[in-house]
Amino acid sequence: MALSASVVTGLQRLLGPGGVVLTPEGRLTYESDMLTLYKGLPDIVVLPTSTAEVQTVVRICRAARVPVVPRGSGTGLIGGATAPLGGVMVSLTRMTQILELDLVNRCATVQPGLINLWLTNAVRERGWFFAPDPSSQMVSSIGGNVATNAGGPHCLKYGITTNHVLGLEIVTGTGEVVSVGGKAADRPGYDLTGTMVGNEGTFGLVTAITVRLLHLPEAVKTALASFASLVEASEAVSAIIAAGIIPAALEMLDDAMIGAINAAVGKVYPDGAGAVLLIELDGPLAEVEAQAERVAAICRERNALMVTVARDEAERALLWKGRKEAAGAVGRITAAYLLQDAVVPRSKLPQIMREMVAISKRHNLLFANVFHAGDGNLHPLICYDDRKPGELERAQQANEELLHACIALGGSVSGEHGIGMDKAKNLPLQYADADLNFMFRLRRVFDPDGLMNPTKLLPSHPACGEGFRPSRPTLPAGTWV
Amino acid sequence: MAVTAAALGDALRAIVGAEHRREGGAPVDGVVPRWTAAPAGIEQAAALVALAHEERLAVVPRGSGAALELGHPPARVDLVLEMRGLDAVLEHSPADLTVSVQAGCTAGVLAAHLAGHRQTLPLDPPGWTARSLGGIAATQASGPLRQRYGTMRDLLLGVRFAQADGVLTWGGAKVVKSVSGYDVPKLMVGALGTLGVLLELTLRLHPAPDYEATWLAGFRTPAHAQECVAALLDSTVQTNRLEILDGRVLAACSLPVTAVALAVSIGTVEPAVRAQEGLVRAIVQRAQGTVQTMGASFWKTYDRALAGFDGVVLRIGSVPARLVETLGAVQALLPGAAVAGAAGLGALRALVTHADATALRAPLERLRATVAEVGGGVIIERGPRALRERIDPWGPVPPPALAVMRAIKTEFDPRAVLNPGRFVGGL
Repeated sequence: MALSASVVTGLQRLLGPGGVVLTPEGRLTYESDMLTLYKGLPDIVVLPTSTAEVQTVVRICRAARVPVVPRGSGTGLIGGATAPLGGVMVSLTRMTQILELDLVNRCATVQPGLINLWLTNAVRERGWFFAPDPSSQMVSSIGGNVATNAGGPHCLKYGITTNHVLGLEIVTGTGEVVSVGGKAADRPGYDLTGTMVGNEGTFGLVTAITVRLLHLPEAVKTALASFASLVEASEAVSAIIAAGIIPAALEMLDDAMIGAINAAVGKVYPDGAGAVLLIELDGPLAEVEAQAERVAAICRERNALMVTVARDEAERALLWKGRKEAAGAVGRITAAYLLQDAVVPRSKLPQIMREMVAISKRHNLLFANVFHAGDGNLHPLICYDDRKPGELERAQQANEELLHACIALGGSVSGEHGIGMDKAKNLPLQYADADLNFMFRLRRVFDPDGLMNPTKLLPSHPACGEGFRPSRPTLPAGTWV
Repeated sequence: MAVTAAALGDALRAIVGAEHRREGGAPVDGVVPRWTAAPAGIEQAAALVALAHEERLAVVPRGSGAALELGHPPARVDLVLEMRGLDAVLEHSPADLTVSVQAGCTAGVLAAHLAGHRQTLPLDPPGWTARSLGGIAATQASGPLRQRYGTMRDLLLGVRFAQADGVLTWGGAKVVKSVSGYDVPKLMVGALGTLGVLLELTLRLHPAPDYEATWLAGFRTPAHAQECVAALLDSTVQTNRLEILDGRVLAACSLPVTAVALAVSIGTVEPAVRAQEGLVRAIVQRAQGTVQTMGASFWKTYDRALAGFDGVVLRIGSVPARLVETLGAVQALLPGAAVAGAAGLGALRALVTHADATALRAPLERLRATVAEVGGGVIIERGPRALRERIDPWGPVPPPALAVMRAIKTEFDPRAVLNPGRFVGGL
């Protein structure tokens, strides 16, 4: 889609030469997010610095019927910040201010481009932190976290992004600036804040976010338990939760991942184990100590090969180092991979692990696992060689089979990455036509013209189009109809 | 298509059977309904809503009836959906810490079911044991445990509801972590049944703490209490309740009266409770308060005092750093009112006796103006109809946000059959 000259001039006039990227090589940076299977070059990239500028951008686009695609740091994994229909990409990387820190009321208001970790860095010395911690937190933006309702290892205890968002300012698809929620409790009306988190830019562009901050815990204890197999480690996970312990994080890595990490960053995890559990407990010191003993005992009862507890911060950092470097380390075992993000009820982990092994064998593909076991959120890296013909297709087939298996066990298609272009087609696995239609209509309220991040989140499906009528209850045959 | 009353009565009977449909019924906010029907299953409920939609009947779902005085008085009440029969615990998966229930199930029945598994749904609005979970969701009602666990919005994972035209619809997931599509459960929480009739809820559970202890800290002034709240929030103490009680609420609980008190509870393993007790005591003493250990029955007494209050209840949404101003404003504007609530979140309740519309209008406006300085508001959570006819029970909603809410309501209930007129802005 070529932009009209008047749109280009309007945007240039609004943002100046420094606020607009027009050259093909400049725009190339913006053609995909971290999921490079989906590419789409925007016709122009704009970099506004204020809510008012964002609003004007949306109004210009709306008047010209041009798609608007928001983008934070571009670290998404779903084909969300990409412009398959062209149009205007709005990069929010110049809106990075902390607008207000209000520690007595345990909250902060920030601009969407602020990097997740920068917020914690700004308050950590005073004893506070921002809980959502996607693995990308060193580079991902809070606006992006809000768009995808991002999770992270510590969401097991603390909840995902939406549980920490108190208020939003958004420029909707109609070009209105709407402020919802805020630091005060219990506002009247629909919970628009909660409704908007996770909208992936399809309702509009978030321009300010008020988030809850939490006090740092008194103590943190990290333990590592190794097991002969993924299934045994999964059974230990279920036993820990069943014992009434919700660790801050409960991460699992399989042998393929352990090997890759040890090769990349030195021997941090025991060789020869089929799986390791990384267990982090935080909270009051006495609670953490009591729970750590209990968790260690449960792991031993469940045939752990070895259980070690980090004795100090350096050891703790080492245990986490492997986990945090996982995505990079995987380059040692594969040229390319697909990353699945489906969820199963956590009691079904042993079962899905058995199915995963079967799928991996059936397709003769290596699966490397590093995932949030505590909440049943899988993250297998399905490894393939993109130079070998047909291998990507096989990996995609294996990926779909695994996803179907998760849904069959009562799970969800995405735990924390979101839907984007990648999983839109999978939503009908989880939702009936009426459910999809409800979501479509909700989207239309915010974006009646269908210009806000089109092709993302909802599938191309009759229930997500105009004129669809879900089947209604059959009324008894009677006198009135 | 409009039909005769007799034909409509026959149609209702055909859906639920003669014994579950009657003309009239218990009044809702002073209005006697034309019909009351008690669906025996979600399909029946959906068919009732579909019929109401067809005939443009105003549908009012009714759970325990505890919150019928929330919102604008209903303009019309044609069909009350009696939800008490939809009370099943559908599926409890202890290993997943999730449960699915029908909307008419009470929090008390669920708590009894969960107790044997040492699990809990930590939602405790006043009178919670008798309240239906669908009602708690529709009214976003909360109690002291929100300090640690949040409110229904944080615990509702999935929801099945009948849309205005009766289409059964599901939103969310049955697992504890999911970002698949829009967060429809959040839209339904606190919507007062104006976007759909809630039928089934899937909820996140928490392990019941091994051990719990409660302390009551008395203070000479609200400023001392606020200092204590600030110090507790800025510490590693992990409270699960942190309530502020003024002298009148203390008296209603038959407790020794101080100007103001904080009720603090901690629930975890016993050694950690003991260790944190020392921190709590030190913080209270620094704020010149006195500490008294309370028995487990304290929270029942407190709940009874709030639930049993006979008068107007205001839900005040403020922030924890403004307790002094908020308490002061209530005392100055509504002499005789009692105040209690979640101090750590600034979510308070004011209990006002003998308030009629004339006496309450100006003070409420001023109170709303005071909390509006931090973006907060005051909702009339309970009060006589005559009062809510003359004073907006919700208070102002900023016009841009209200416009979005109106657009959502119009999209999903264009014929205005779901609890019409009772929500913000008359939605």
